[in-house]
Amino acid sequence: MHDRLVAIEHIVAQHRHEHGALLSILEEVQRTSEHNYLSKDELAHVARSLTLPLADVYSVATFYAFFNLKPQGEHVITVCRGTACHTRGSKPLLEKVLTYLGISLEDDGSATTADCRFTVHTVACFGQCALAPVVSVDGVIHSRITEKQLLMLIDALAGKKEAVV
Amino acid sequence: MDSNQVHVTIDGNELDVAQGTKIIDACNLVGIHLPSLCYLKDISSYGSCGVCVVEVEGAKRLVRSCMQSVQNNMVIHTHTQRVLAARKTNVELLLANHEMTCTTCERNLNCELQELAQQMGIRDQRFVKTRKKPLALDLTSLSLVRNPNACILCNRCVEVCRSMQSVSAIQMTRRGLSTQVATFAELGLGNSVCTNCGQCSLVCPTAAITEKSSEQEVLDALADPNLVVLVQTAPAIRVGLGEAMGMEEGALVTGKMVSALRTMGFDRVFDTQFSADLTIMEEGYELIERIQKGGTLPMITSCSPGWIKFIETFYPEQTDHLSTCKSPQQMFGAIAKTYYAEKMGLDPATIKVVSIMPCTAKKFEAGRNEMDSSHAYWQHKGVVGEDEHFCDVDYVLTTRELARMLKRLGINFASLQESQFDDPLGESTGSAVIFAASGGVMEAALRTAYEKLTGNSLENLEFSALRERKGIREATLQIGDLACKVAVTNTLGNARVLLDQIKDGKSEYAFIEVMTCPDGCIGGGGQSIPSHAEQRSKRIESIYEEDRGKQSRKSHENPSIQTLYASFLTEPLSEVSHHLLHTHYTKRSAWDY
Repeated sequence: MHDRLVAIEHIVAQHRHEHGALLSILEEVQRTSEHNYLSKDELAHVARSLTLPLADVYSVATFYAFFNLKPQGEHVITVCRGTACHTRGSKPLLEKVLTYLGISLEDDGSATTADCRFTVHTVACFGQCALAPVVSVDGVIHSRITEKQLLMLIDALAGKKEAVV
Repeated sequence: MDSNQVHVTIDGNELDVAQGTKIIDACNLVGIHLPSLCYLKDISSYGSCGVCVVEVEGAKRLVRSCMQSVQNNMVIHTHTQRVLAARKTNVELLLANHEMTCTTCERNLNCELQELAQQMGIRDQRFVKTRKKPLALDLTSLSLVRNPNACILCNRCVEVCRSMQSVSAIQMTRRGLSTQVATFAELGLGNSVCTNCGQCSLVCPTAAITEKSSEQEVLDALADPNLVVLVQTAPAIRVGLGEAMGMEEGALVTGKMVSALRTMGFDRVFDTQFSADLTIMEEGYELIERIQKGGTLPMITSCSPGWIKFIETFYPEQTDHLSTCKSPQQMFGAIAKTYYAEKMGLDPATIKVVSIMPCTAKKFEAGRNEMDSSHAYWQHKGVVGEDEHFCDVDYVLTTRELARMLKRLGINFASLQESQFDDPLGESTGSAVIFAASGGVMEAALRTAYEKLTGNSLENLEFSALRERKGIREATLQIGDLACKVAVTNTLGNARVLLDQIKDGKSEYAFIEVMTCPDGCIGGGGQSIPSHAEQRSKRIESIYEEDRGKQSRKSHENPSIQTLYASFLTEPLSEVSHHLLHTHYTKRSAWDY
């Protein structure tokens, strides 16, 4: 933990005089964190280094969807739940993925496997409605995806050789 | 016309008002009170509720009168059909996610949202709920309870905590439909930098923040024949309770309050003012000792528990400046369960001390681990064991809780006869009364310190410079050959200014009084709601009226205090005093959680 605090202080020192420093700092702290999220300790350390109230830093961190407050999986699967994707079966697709990974969505609309390999969450729309259903895996958009294709992708990422039937 | 004035027409009334005046405040000048659930004059202007809208000629849209300032020749209409319809819709929107549990709500009949819904004839919840399941209550604090389900996101609490108190324990978090007021990581007020001042609970338009109630515990104690239940009343209660019982603002109700408490069944009705006089003795001598022996100066008062947690949290390196004196509430508890118990032959374990305080932070203070010196006293004497633990003060009720209980018990407060406090812990001087108003502790201490140091009688007892209503006041008192420079402040934002002076080595004062709440305890977070500036002025007037009427106005002249020293404590700062009446502080941090 000590090394991490020193690293955070370094990040803060680099940005503290910039306009809107807090956002740049939080972005970099998250990017350099082990599971791509901002822990309570890290947020508190940022607050302390900038002499900002804890509640203010928390307010900013919770406002932006980009910031994660829970550990994220190594691989992020984003299922579009917009109207077009919904009519093309994104709901069963989402349910299938969750069942396959053995997790269920929490109140914040995301779920991460216990081993932190996979995180699943939803978005309202990717703006790719003509290609519905759309799923993004680690930032790559997969159009008109089927359950089978998606599960194969997951298996590939998980390092499993056999395809799912 | 003065160039700083603008001419406006409000519902046909023409008037000139200062430039920069908000429309809502200008309307007040012509006797039109615009409803608002978020605006707080001079403190919070957030424009979230949309209830204060008015129509301005030439403006396309309705205007939020709390956000928009008057402009020259503005023609304002405050109750057109369009305005009334928009206000109603906006209140209905606020009600969409509101728990409609008015009958079981703490703020029932004293709720701004309820009152507006009633006035506007809203009879159902027109809009669908967007919140799927209720949010969890925050029960982590000893002083306050937060119920986010009652919250309308008006931002008032966030703003008083941030700008008035400079604490920022809470903030708006998340966004859109998920927005809620929360502490860091939702750990709760009890695990935050919250000082328990309760100003948030005073300004909350609903029951989203309320005091943690001890009403039932007190009723249970009163019903228990094996207990001796003593009550102490803080100075500010006698000018706040009347309001909560439907009397005029600032009504001075000392005698009625005593009668009411006796009717409730308290075995003895005592006065925190007794221990306020005691505080002045200890604190006055402590100041003299620090000045004469080169102790840490400036010395800062320690009566206000919100302030104590504030300095412990934000300026932990400066706690040596705090007087080591306990607050009057805690001195009372310690004396009641030792001196008084001994005098009356009571088993200290059967005594319950109940405080009536204008303050939510007093609940936290009474619960602090170190506030059990009476137990240590008896344990040292071998009378009680370690396992028979008791605190010096058992329960703390706010003005609001007491008012609710009096109503519940059917006590017709306004018609009660006046009666006197019991002896000996009910006797007090004018110096103790003025503890209720910002500057009072300083004034009281100076009255005693002057006479003790010079041996002369102080002619003018009223220090007008300390009674001004501004953020930081100062005065210099010539005591013999010593020019004693003092400062008085209230609200924690102002306290920060004085602490920063100390930090920078620029403080010129010997003694500083800090009160957590605006205008001191009369504006405390546990007082009756509402508690705005004009009301507080009337409470202050009543306090000074009580001081002027007191037989003695100097703490050291209190006969019961003199007896207490002669027969028990020996002298101020004695060993017994140190054990019972003085305390130590905890170093905290604003970033540990």
